[in-house]
Amino acid sequence: MAARPCAVLGIGQTKYKRRRDDVTLDGLVREAVLRALEDAGATFDDIDAIVIGKAPDALEGVMMPLLSLCDALGAIGKPIHRVHTAGSVGASTSISAVNLVESGMYDTVLTVAYEKQSEGNATWALSGGKSGGQGAGGTFAPWIRNYIARSKAPEHIGWMVAVKDRLNALKNEYAHLHLPDISIEKVRESPMLWDPLHFLESCPSSDGAAAMVLGNDDIAKKSGRPPAWVISHAKRTEFGQFPGRDTVRPQAGVECSEALYRKVGITNPREQIDCAELYVPFSWYEPMWLEGHSIAEEGEGWKMTDAGDTELGGSFPVNMSGGVLSSNPIGASGMIRCLEAANQVRGTAGEYQVPGAKISIGHAYGGAAQYYAMWMVSSELNPVF
Amino acid sequence: MPQLHDVDYTLEYPYTRTTGPVIGPFLTGLRDGRILGQRCGDRVLCPPMEFDPDTFSTLEPDLVEVGPGGEVVNWTWVAESSAKHPFDRPFGFAFIKLDGADTALVHAVDTGGDPEAMSTGMRVTAQYREERHGSIADVYFVPEADAADQVIEPGEEPVTITEHLIGLRLNEPLYPHRARFAQGLLDGKIIGQRSPVTGKVYVPGRGYDNMSRVLLSEADEVVVSDVGTVVAFTELNPVQYYGQTETEPYVRCSILFDGTDQPVIGIDIRDMTVEEMRVGMRMRCIWRDPEDRSVEDIDNRFGNIPESVYTRFEPTGEPDVPADQLKEHSW
Repeated sequence: MAARPCAVLGIGQTKYKRRRDDVTLDGLVREAVLRALEDAGATFDDIDAIVIGKAPDALEGVMMPLLSLCDALGAIGKPIHRVHTAGSVGASTSISAVNLVESGMYDTVLTVAYEKQSEGNATWALSGGKSGGQGAGGTFAPWIRNYIARSKAPEHIGWMVAVKDRLNALKNEYAHLHLPDISIEKVRESPMLWDPLHFLESCPSSDGAAAMVLGNDDIAKKSGRPPAWVISHAKRTEFGQFPGRDTVRPQAGVECSEALYRKVGITNPREQIDCAELYVPFSWYEPMWLEGHSIAEEGEGWKMTDAGDTELGGSFPVNMSGGVLSSNPIGASGMIRCLEAANQVRGTAGEYQVPGAKISIGHAYGGAAQYYAMWMVSSELNPVF
Repeated sequence: MPQLHDVDYTLEYPYTRTTGPVIGPFLTGLRDGRILGQRCGDRVLCPPMEFDPDTFSTLEPDLVEVGPGGEVVNWTWVAESSAKHPFDRPFGFAFIKLDGADTALVHAVDTGGDPEAMSTGMRVTAQYREERHGSIADVYFVPEADAADQVIEPGEEPVTITEHLIGLRLNEPLYPHRARFAQGLLDGKIIGQRSPVTGKVYVPGRGYDNMSRVLLSEADEVVVSDVGTVVAFTELNPVQYYGQTETEPYVRCSILFDGTDQPVIGIDIRDMTVEEMRVGMRMRCIWRDPEDRSVEDIDNRFGNIPESVYTRFEPTGEPDVPADQLKEHSW
């Protein structure tokens, strides 16, 4: 039996900030949820099931938040599911919600992801609470150096991504970082955190939540809202460490994107996809994922960045919303990639809209670059490639 | 096999909570000696809630004082109190419906340790701690007849953020393969596990080969060289989080020991700068004197080759291994 078609019908985001001290965790999540319901023209009564995702509980120290957030999410008396796949969780959660609609089990599903990073400390949590933790940047930096050595990319590529994403963020009212005077010089002169990553090549620590209302084709027709059809999705996993692991272009990432493209017959992603929201918490991951997800040939990803192809207005815009480099409520960051891809094909991306975008992808990775989740959205239910 | 040590592992952090428009005034009230409930239609909810639990609609802050007296509608007895409990003697946890409230608050009742003094329907009265911080623990309850008159000095600023030391303590024996690995380090030996399927040698062993999905036992263990090749390194500027004891930048590296197929990650290098490090560099472990070695930092999840067993890693002076030979080990 074919899967039931599923569309994004409502999108809600909070303003991303260093610290949202005006609301509780519940209030923060609720803010995104109410906006998504409003955007979908729906109420809690229309919701059949809820899927919630966030990164490790140790980030805020709230165990099993799916229970304490039931009131805020309107989940009493309804099924609620919780997803956890480290940093990729926002995208995995989105896909899990799609699965519930595609299965035919539920007509309308609310999905939400969040992080209130200011209530804890992510580096502490990633260090298992121990002194001397390496953190995400310390883990990824040697792999990035390997990418640079392998691809012969010039050092300014990372700086360019850092500037490009922050300029895009100026067009996005929800973005955490608004740095109007960002420049290559400022990035280059900012403190070196983990060679080759400077401070301004790294993501911020944000509070925020994101939510979507998803519905099947009947609901989409009735709602009258512009749909973003989820025409393909894929998740893949690999071990964090094993002999022969390619940490620069992990096999699970390659296979995830291949599965994503294959399902709808995409043979040339660079040409057939209009734009992408990729999970880029450190600048160099833009060219690494362009190659790691077969949008560019190996060794060619940085040339797309260098040529301006990934700018808003370029031939393959990446992270039009400002990306993870501009807002990073960890658990929500993957869902933000998914919903921003949907914003593009719905034509609701405002100042950072890619004109005429019909096909877009949202992507996230997590753990030691070992969990992958990607989805593809389209303005049409059955696009022909 | 020697039982080295139990792992006594505490994961603990002083988390903060933003209190928002409803819980904030409630906690401020407790600090100031008042209990507040939230109006929800024609009911009063205490503890107050931000959202109507029946309709899910947002409740605008509308707080009204309830108590200090109330009725126990259900209860249980805590015969042995723990360090985290509100009393150092036996006490009751009770659902207390405060006068003026329509819902019950879960809280502690102190009867002086006497379970016979607890009953459903009993009247209780709020009492306040000397030291109050805008916390649910600022208040407790006693049987109405035992209540003392208290004069509570209100605080100044409203409570908008609270701090909570939340933790988890694990106590467990080291897994046998971890204990043998740690004992090896005390003996100045690096013990790996060789997969009988692929022949690959893992250091430290996990007790299983994750690639071939077979268990690995003591019979699969081999002593490997303490000389190896740097496959990755990074300099860390320690983030000053709770419990961090590092203050100065230092280098962490991954070393692929000779005869192994997976690098040991997270080895601390304290006497070399990041500029002196190279991928491909050959390094040798210089062990501490046996009596100075300690493996206390090794538990079942963290700790590979801790600094407490070696004085330093020293370049051997051999030619570097070409980077392309290390491509499979780039962690």
